[in-house]
Parts: sequence; C-alpha cells; structure tokens
Amino acid sequence: MPLDVAAIRQEFPIFERKINGKRLVFLDSAASSQKPRAVIGAMMHTYMHGYANVHRGLYTLAEEATAAYEEARAKIARFINAADPAEIVNVRNATEGLNLVAYSWGEAHIQAGDRIVITELEHHANLVPWQQLALRKGAELAYIPVDEAGELDLNALPPLLADGRTKIVACSVMSNVLSALPPVTQVAEIAHDAGALVVMDGAQAVPHQPVDVQALGADFLAFSGHKMCGPGVGVLWGRYDLLDAMPPFLYGGDMIRTVKHDYAKWNEVPYKFEAGTPAIAEVIGLGAAVDFLNAIGMEAIHAHEQEIVNYALARLAELPMVHVLGSGKGERGELRERSGVVSFWMDNIHPHDIATILDDEGICIRAGHHCAQPLHECLNLPASARASFYIYNDRDDVDALIEALHKVVKILGK
Amino acid sequence: MSSDLYREQLLDHYHNPDHFGVLDDADVDIEMDNPTCGDMIHLTARLDSTGRIAEVMFEGQGCVISMASASMFTEHVKGKTLEEVAAMGLAEIQEMMGGVKLSMGRVKCALLPLNAMKEGLKESGDL
Repeated sequence: MPLDVAAIRQEFPIFERKINGKRLVFLDSAASSQKPRAVIGAMMHTYMHGYANVHRGLYTLAEEATAAYEEARAKIARFINAADPAEIVNVRNATEGLNLVAYSWGEAHIQAGDRIVITELEHHANLVPWQQLALRKGAELAYIPVDEAGELDLNALPPLLADGRTKIVACSVMSNVLSALPPVTQVAEIAHDAGALVVMDGAQAVPHQPVDVQALGADFLAFSGHKMCGPGVGVLWGRYDLLDAMPPFLYGGDMIRTVKHDYAKWNEVPYKFEAGTPAIAEVIGLGAAVDFLNAIGMEAIHAHEQEIVNYALARLAELPMVHVLGSGKGERGELRERSGVVSFWMDNIHPHDIATILDDEGICIRAGHHCAQPLHECLNLPASARASFYIYNDRDDVDALIEALHKVVKILGK
Repeated sequence: MSSDLYREQLLDHYHNPDHFGVLDDADVDIEMDNPTCGDMIHLTARLDSTGRIAEVMFEGQGCVISMASASMFTEHVKGKTLEEVAAMGLAEIQEMMGGVKLSMGRVKCALLPLNAMKEGLKESGDL
C-alpha cells in the first residue's frame, strides 16, 4: 500500500508554517526528523497528567510514570525484535550509546596491540569513540575501504581478522551520506567467526526500514529517537549476557543496588546503565513514535522511500552538472537498493550556496560533510549537499528540489 | 531574504576575484580552512615601511560568501594599520560586502579572510 503522504503531513504541525513565504519542503530528516502530534501529545500528557520521577516513589503518580516509562521500553524492544526489554538502555542519543560500549566494554577488554575495525563510511559517532579508544589503549584502528559506488570492500575484512587481534568490528547499517546499505549481516558473520564483537550504528536504518536485531546478528545496536519522529533521546540495544557482564559507564543514582561508605554494588541491567533521572517524558514520547511508525508500517515506509529516491535520481539526471554520490546502479545496471538519502555535488558550486538558495524556496537540505569527514576525504570532496526523504515527503517535494536546483544553476552557473 | 547574498556585486567578485594569486616575498603567508564546509584560503600580504598593509593576494576555493569576502578584503585592508586590522570584526566585513546580513551559518565563511589575516600577522610576529 502506498503511503498517504497528504494525510501523514496533516499529523505534523510544523508543515502548517511557511519558510520565506513558501511551503516548507523538509529534506533533512537524516539529520533529525519532524514530530507528529501523537509524540508531542504523549509528552505533553506526561507533563500535564502523569509526571513524577521513576523507579523511586511509592505514590500513585510515581507508579504511573514508572509504568509508562517501562511500557515505552517494551515497545522499543518489540520494535527492533529484542529478546528482552532489559536489553534496551535509554541514553541521550546514538552517539552516547556507542560511547557507552566503547567506554564500558572497550575499556575492560581492549588492550595494547588489539585491533578495532570500522568502515570508511562511518558517521563520526561510530568512528571517533573507536579512534580514541584505540589511542588510549595503544590498539590499532583499521578501516574497511569503500569504493566510489559506495560499496564496502568486504574482501578487506578477513585479512584484518586472520591474526586474531581484532576485538571489535563496528559498522553502520545504513550510510548517512552514500545511501548505501552495507551487507551488515555478512560483516557480523565474518566477524563473529573470528571471535570479534559486532557493534552496529542503526541511527539511519532504524527509522527507515524494519530492523530485527536478532536477524542482524549484532552484539550492540545504537540508534536515535529524534530521527524517527521521536524526541531527543537515544537507545542502546545490547545482548543481555554482554550488558550483564559489563561495568557501568556512568555512576550515581538509580544505577546502584547498595552503596556503603567504601564500596557500591550495581543495579541489574538495564538500570545499571541509566544513572540519574532519565528523560522520562522523552522516552514515553519515543514509545509513541514507535506506535506511530508501526501504524504506517516499516515495510511501507521503506518502499515509499525507495520510490521517492529513485524518482529523485531520475530527475537529478536532468541536471548534467549534478553528480550523485554512490552509484544508483548495480553491476548489471539494475537499480540498487538505497536508503532515502541522495548526496550530491555540483560543478563549481559550493554546497553552502546550494543550501542558501534552496532555503529561499522553503527547501531544507544539509550542506557540509554530514559528520563524515574521512568519507569525504576518500571521495576527494571537501563537502556535499544532501537531500533526505521520509514519510512526509512526496514527488512534489522532489519537483520543488529540482526546480530550485535549476535556479541555483541560473544564479551561480558560469 | 538570503537571495540578497547572491546580488550582482558579490557574484562578480566570486566569478572574477580581485588579486587572485600569491605574492612573492610576502610578510604574511598563511593557509586557513573552515573544516566544517571545506572552504580554503591561501592569503599572502606585504607590509610597507610604516607597517601598514601594502598589498594582499589570495587564492583558494569555497562558497560565494567566502570567496567574494576574500576578493573584497584584498582591496579593503590596503593602507590599514595592523591595529586597525586587529580591531576589525563581523560588522565591518558585512559593511564591506555591501551591507549584507549574514545568517549564523554563513558568518564563518565571510570571516575566513579576516581570520586568516589576523592569524597570519600573529604567526609572522607582526601582531
């Protein structure tokens, strides 16, 4: 069933406003998505009718807040097919989730001479924590290279695992720049065969396609609520046995079982990793976002984005000075499966200027390196422009983009 | 309206920049970039016997704002004392660019040549 985009847009109050007198065309959901009434309402309801601190109070309101908070955790767990809600750790964002693994598991297990393998297409969030862990420990950081078409060179992985020194393999499930969907299940299989831990960055994938952590074969998966119609919270999913054996990342209230003058014992998973008062209303809001996305259907969302992105690629081909990053076609010329992201550059026109002129038309795109500087280095580009699509975008938005790019060429083309 | 940024005057400087190139025997010779957007400038300058800016040239790549700002800057700072350069800020750069109002995200682009000059003068020991 195709998405009823007009009806979906009605659910997002932000589309009532105009930008520079024009209809808002929001093409930057890969950075952060807009919020539907259901999510805003769930948070407002919490604050107006059901707010108290969780896991502490013995009064009705506290018990209600705790139940709503834990119900949201269970929804999030079902959304990614986690085996147990206890495997869901609420954090600030995907970045914090990945840092949690790097600091907790990494500090405990990585030693001098070990190796950490990541890919060249990683967002800084799944790169800098590993780079810095490697530097702290005197470990080696190695990259699986990416070719011009945006494909991972999987042949590079087995040699990096052969000597048994690799302890962690970290990989994005979906690139935030190249639109590529790396073969992560294969990466996980190869890495596990060599005894390495597999950490996946799901920030781009979880909002846009069905994700089943058990089928992925990952040990950890981090993602952000704010990219999936939810508020500013994030999630770390980890296998229970791993989380259970890991030391805490942050210390304080709620993460302890008992505290004496000179020692403390830790609470059980996941509370061991949720020190201090969590973002209660936001987690409840993320639960509402999960309900909202489930009602539309993740398969339908993925299919919708494929359709929009292929339409965008076809229309961008009308502009010869536009060059799309990553190939849209496979070896036999077949259309490749892509996420709803199109990054591009234009001959002799800086991405900043593209973004500014598009803004005049009410069109929001990202311009820069999209937190993927090493990837842009590989592609020999200082920066690029990126349009990303979600449930509230349709062909009209693509047409508006193309028309505005013609204007860019008219103003800035030599 | 941001289209204001793309008025004829700035586009002229962008497409046909003034003093594009590198000075020989420069007192100031510096490369600076905006890593967040990939704008890059190589600025060279000579001082006269009284310590004022005598000549400035630049080369580089970047957006309309950074490149037009650099082109206009090479003329604008000629004859200024180093104290005058040190005191320059965003207001003067916006004025220099014909009174444009820059959004927060574009301020860094416009300031790239000025920041390069200040840094270059520091490196050369003149400031």
